[in-house]
Amino acid sequence: MNTFSYLKQFAPEKGNIIKGLQEIQQREGYLSKEALDRCADFFNIAPAEVEGVVTFYSQFKRVKPGRYRISVCDGTACHIKGTPLILDWISTDLGIGDGETDADGLFSLETVACLGCCSLAPVLSINGEIFGNLNRKSTLRILKRFKKAGVSNAD
Amino acid sequence: MDSDEITFTIDGKAMTARAGETLLQVASRNGISIPTLCHDERVTKTTSCFVCVVKHVQSGRFVPSCAATPQRGQDYESSSPAVYEMRQTALNLLLSEHTGDCESPCTIACPAHAQVEEYVRAGRKGDFRESLRIIKERIPLPISIGRVCPRFCEKDCRRNLNGLPVAINEFKRLAADLHYEDYMEELPPLGDKKVAIVGAGPAGLAIAYFLRREGISSYIYESMPMPGGMLRYGIPEYRLPKALLNKELAHFDKMGGISIYCGTTLGKDIHLETLQREYDAVAIAIGCWQASSMRCDGEELAQDGIVWLGKIALDNWTGENPKKTIVIGGGNTAMDCVRTAIRLGSDEVSCFYRRTENEMPAEQIEIDEAREEGVNFEFLTAPIRLEKKGKLLRLTCIKMELGEPDASGRHRPVPVEGSEFSVEADTVIAAIGQKTDAPSGLKTNKWGDIDVDSADLCMSDNIYSAGDCVTGAATVVEAVAAGRKVAIAIADRFSKRVHEEPETINASRGHWRSMAKDSLVTLKEVSDEARMVLQQISIDARRTTFDEVTVTADKTLVSMEGERCYECACTSRDTCKLKQHSETYSAKPDAIGGERLVLNCDTRHPVIIHDRNKCIKCGICIKICNEVIEKTLLGYKNRGYLTEVGTAYDMAFPASCAECMSCVEACPTGALDRRHKL
Amino acid sequence: MRINEIRVGVSSCGLAAGAQDVLNRLKERTDVPVLGVGCIGHCYAEPLVEVLTDAGALMFGNIQAKTKDIDALLSLSPEKQLHNRSERTDKENLRITGMIGKSEPVDIDAYISFGGFDGLKKALTRSPQSVVDEVKQSQLRGRGGGGFTTGVKWSLLAAKASNEKVIICNADEGDPGAFMDRSLMESLPYQVLEGMLIAAHATGATSLYIYCRAEYPLAIRNIRTAIDQLRQRKLNVIGNKVLDIEVKEGAGAFVCGEETALIHSLEGKRGMPRFRPPYPTDSGYHGLPSMISNVETFANVPVILRDGATSFSSIGTKGGRGTKLFALAGDVKYPGLVEVPMGITLGEIIYEIGGAEPGSVKAVQTGGPSGGCIPASLFDTPVDYDSLNSLGAIMGSGGLIVIGNNRCMVETARYFLDFTHRESCGKCTFCRIGAKRMFETLERITAGHGVMDDIEFLEDMGKKVKAGSLCGLGATAPNPVLATLRYFRSEFEAHVVERQCPALECAALCDVIINKAQCTECKLCLKNCALNAISEDYVVDNDICTRCNSCIESCAQDAIARVTAGEGFRGSVAKEVG
Repeated sequence: MNTFSYLKQFAPEKGNIIKGLQEIQQREGYLSKEALDRCADFFNIAPAEVEGVVTFYSQFKRVKPGRYRISVCDGTACHIKGTPLILDWISTDLGIGDGETDADGLFSLETVACLGCCSLAPVLSINGEIFGNLNRKSTLRILKRFKKAGVSNAD
Repeated sequence: MDSDEITFTIDGKAMTARAGETLLQVASRNGISIPTLCHDERVTKTTSCFVCVVKHVQSGRFVPSCAATPQRGQDYESSSPAVYEMRQTALNLLLSEHTGDCESPCTIACPAHAQVEEYVRAGRKGDFRESLRIIKERIPLPISIGRVCPRFCEKDCRRNLNGLPVAINEFKRLAADLHYEDYMEELPPLGDKKVAIVGAGPAGLAIAYFLRREGISSYIYESMPMPGGMLRYGIPEYRLPKALLNKELAHFDKMGGISIYCGTTLGKDIHLETLQREYDAVAIAIGCWQASSMRCDGEELAQDGIVWLGKIALDNWTGENPKKTIVIGGGNTAMDCVRTAIRLGSDEVSCFYRRTENEMPAEQIEIDEAREEGVNFEFLTAPIRLEKKGKLLRLTCIKMELGEPDASGRHRPVPVEGSEFSVEADTVIAAIGQKTDAPSGLKTNKWGDIDVDSADLCMSDNIYSAGDCVTGAATVVEAVAAGRKVAIAIADRFSKRVHEEPETINASRGHWRSMAKDSLVTLKEVSDEARMVLQQISIDARRTTFDEVTVTADKTLVSMEGERCYECACTSRDTCKLKQHSETYSAKPDAIGGERLVLNCDTRHPVIIHDRNKCIKCGICIKICNEVIEKTLLGYKNRGYLTEVGTAYDMAFPASCAECMSCVEACPTGALDRRHKL
Repeated sequence: MRINEIRVGVSSCGLAAGAQDVLNRLKERTDVPVLGVGCIGHCYAEPLVEVLTDAGALMFGNIQAKTKDIDALLSLSPEKQLHNRSERTDKENLRITGMIGKSEPVDIDAYISFGGFDGLKKALTRSPQSVVDEVKQSQLRGRGGGGFTTGVKWSLLAAKASNEKVIICNADEGDPGAFMDRSLMESLPYQVLEGMLIAAHATGATSLYIYCRAEYPLAIRNIRTAIDQLRQRKLNVIGNKVLDIEVKEGAGAFVCGEETALIHSLEGKRGMPRFRPPYPTDSGYHGLPSMISNVETFANVPVILRDGATSFSSIGTKGGRGTKLFALAGDVKYPGLVEVPMGITLGEIIYEIGGAEPGSVKAVQTGGPSGGCIPASLFDTPVDYDSLNSLGAIMGSGGLIVIGNNRCMVETARYFLDFTHRESCGKCTFCRIGAKRMFETLERITAGHGVMDDIEFLEDMGKKVKAGSLCGLGATAPNPVLATLRYFRSEFEAHVVERQCPALECAALCDVIINKAQCTECKLCLKNCALNAISEDYVVDNDICTRCNSCIESCAQDAIARVTAGEGFRGSVAKEVG
């Protein structure tokens, strides 16, 4: 059982709850029910309030994401440069919609507010690695690369 | 002057605030009422609902009065049109996502707006006298309507999602059969105003009844030998025994202040001008007694259904055997004719209708029972010619097929070329429909019905009209509803009060046809039993006598039927602040369209119910639990439009919550409520 | 020419374009110092490399870690050099960002060597009150969007008698389309911190917090490193007080740019704003007197103290003093970070710095989701707080999204409402439900189901949402819609009345056709269509097609295009007729 012992690096006070949740998500990839219970306990906050915080901020994920987390930037610059089309192409190629993870747990797809790379619009990031100036060809090429990596890693 | 005191104005009225006092507090001290939803003195400010806004005149900004504190010299508006509009819009927005059934679908469906759920509940609890009391607030003829109503309520009953609807009308019938004679409304003393009513049918009787309840005497003039109108001369004995009708009408005598003069015809024995002169108001409720034409050659050889039935009624439900009979038409009068023909001894009765059974306007139960009694149906058949053939009649018809739907949504029948055929019969009865035979001098509309102002049913000056003669042939319950409307309009006229029906809103969860079974909310055990069935007399007796077909069910059976009721209406409708303010500010649930989330209603706790569909996200409950009770069992979840209030991970409320109930008491709507309130 | 130093831009957008590899490769290839520096601003040409030679600095763009590019760079070949640099610098005035690109962002010695901490040193020699006065005199206004006079805010905090006071740097750059704050924190972390330290001296603050978006990992890393350096050098000691400096990461909520929401978030709560008063200077973080200012505001402070208020306020207009950073993006040739004097016109920024072709631009969106669009016909407007407000837009934090002629303004308005209604904290009725209803209405219009009443509803509800919301998010959320209605009403009417999207952007209101004259029947479009909407004889069935543009992008002949709805082939119509 995960005891989330690394939470001990934080002072057990309410103001640190977001830090604690971020740390857990950084390590585990998402926030399980156990993680939230542990946070409530550790930071001495009512579970209703922990859930309130977790569901308020869009950073927090309650379900395990795919191995490759595709974040398509839907900031203004990216949007007007074609984010909806990029989402469409990725969805068609991977068979998953915004906010979904594929059956193999390889890819998950989400849109994010802004990656701050507006001058490279449109951009997406996969596990934090940013790809800019996308068109259909380059988008599909990037996906192909990660699909390949996923297959070889699986062996 | 105390230096801490701040002088300012609201609506031009000078006021003084103590330091830290909010606009709302000062306003309320000075008798200015400001609506609030999210405000509760016990907790820190939530400032979420924005219903309490006032306008700061100098800056033109709207501020929530529950939180804003006035500064010296400021001017605020609380009753200007701009403030009214902001409050109304806030309420409209809240209503646009709020669902909770301020009224039950059955109550809404009832043309007379009888409090259906309430009288069914009283019956479920075995108190049929209370049931009758509730019914008679809106329905003065429960014995009759308890038998002949087409049951609008049952058509919209949510129980349709799970089997057949609750047998609502049986509550009315039983309550009336048990207690009609021993129940007397509380009546005010009679004043000196008097009203003439023409017609002692359901509409005329209802006008008299509701006038009496306002302390106004009425004088009913009826052209037929006995009062009752269509109840007596149109609806056959086997559906509504006249002995019961007499019992029902006797009550009008007992009430006092209602006089009925039979055998008096308008235009012959009495005249409108005289009535208008001699009475303070006149109500025309003459019904609709003229049969519509079949529009085919030789139609004069056919009997008019309504006239034929009337004749038999006058002969106390006796008459000559019509022998081989064809009835043309598909409405309830046609069914009354075929079933009456059977009872008069005919062994060959057919109903010809130009569309199919699906399009028949008659009640399905009437069609089914007619068929059981041996009536033969010919659909997609229209008459084109009627002629004499010796002692018999020869009816030539043409077959039809259904074409495109017409304006009413029914498929238009189109003749099939070359499909003519002829049949012979002793009697042909046309029951195509009825029209109003409006006395000359009255303004009529394009259908020939009496033209009235739809708001108060006033024709002109002090003449009102209600019932079939205004609407065309309709139902008893609709006539009774219109009668009440006229009575209230007349009473308003006499008392010079500007009285409108109180504006009521209904934030419906939707029609059952558009609902999922599992979205139903029930707060009590609901019986899985099938719908109760009324006992019927033997089929032999049905074919040969005019005895009433069905037998009133007993108390146990009807009370049990009440257990099938979902009791849909909101438990908080009498205390809901959203409803109250919305009615005050004319906010409407459909003023602003958009997505309404369907959220779950938590009924796991034995006492507390938590219906998120009613939640306005004001957060009072969260703050009460946290700041007053120091528990933090509730919290916000998500954000934006998806914001919800709930327990952690949707866990059930702990049992200990039953001792506190603070959040429930504080909830401005019915989102948190006691389960067994009603 | 001898190369003396090489500087590679390694801020987020440079890294996204491959700058790290370039940096590594250059280090392998040459012995001259190779520095990873901050954001040089010419983001359109990332990765950027600046080469210092005896004869001056040369700027190279689009350098990849390929031998060919590296060779070209090291031989100072003109082909990869940026030639438009001087046109741009003529318009710019790098008062705040002047130090970017000169050294590694977290190199404290380099920062000091270029004059860093001079402002702080000067401030510490003066009384707190005189520092407040200096800032007041500079007429610096908050750069986060509100435009409140910074000096006044400082004096409010300074006037509070409290042993503990808090200064919070709002680095939760939530405007999707702005990256000024990210660039400053990545590239000039010391300058931001220096501004905060000066503010602490002037106001008597004891704790400093930086509330930064978690989406900016490099900014967080650099600012944390910088804080460690400050501590080592004891620069965090003001007078005899050791200041507490901490970075807290936001967790993704636009509304946390609102000061009361930000404070709640810092306290570990949901970031829901509350009614003011009390203002944070009276009761802020944990009830302590607190002052919140934006990153760029703090970055201005050292410059004011170093050069003096008069020097600062000599730049700009009455409606705004000093310089302003803008994140220029969208339909321009040279997107990037620009620093310009207040009072410059929009046209100068968009056409001369951004390189947009006059006539190709329809509008510019300022202030992101809280701002509004300004049509090209008004591009001679000088940029300052007051003039932008008067146009129904706002200065905002500095996002400038240029909207080309081929974009649909209704869709743009829908996009912003989509963002704001989802970012609403859910507290106020007007914002929670009103913005949602406005968004639904815009969805209906872009889907081709709008009616004229919808346009009226948007105007009416827009005004009420603005009036009936507690915080800046709700009070500005309708701005993009209202401004678009003000300047581009005809586009709304075209969607509603003619059921057409003039820009051919709304999928429901356009068709796709293949121009047979240009088509070479190469089958590429057939292969790329996931829905088999294209027949063997190269006709797009618009009943099947979802307007995903896959065929348009794949066609080498430019033979496929979007056209007005109704002009394309529709299978169902053909069947009916047949």
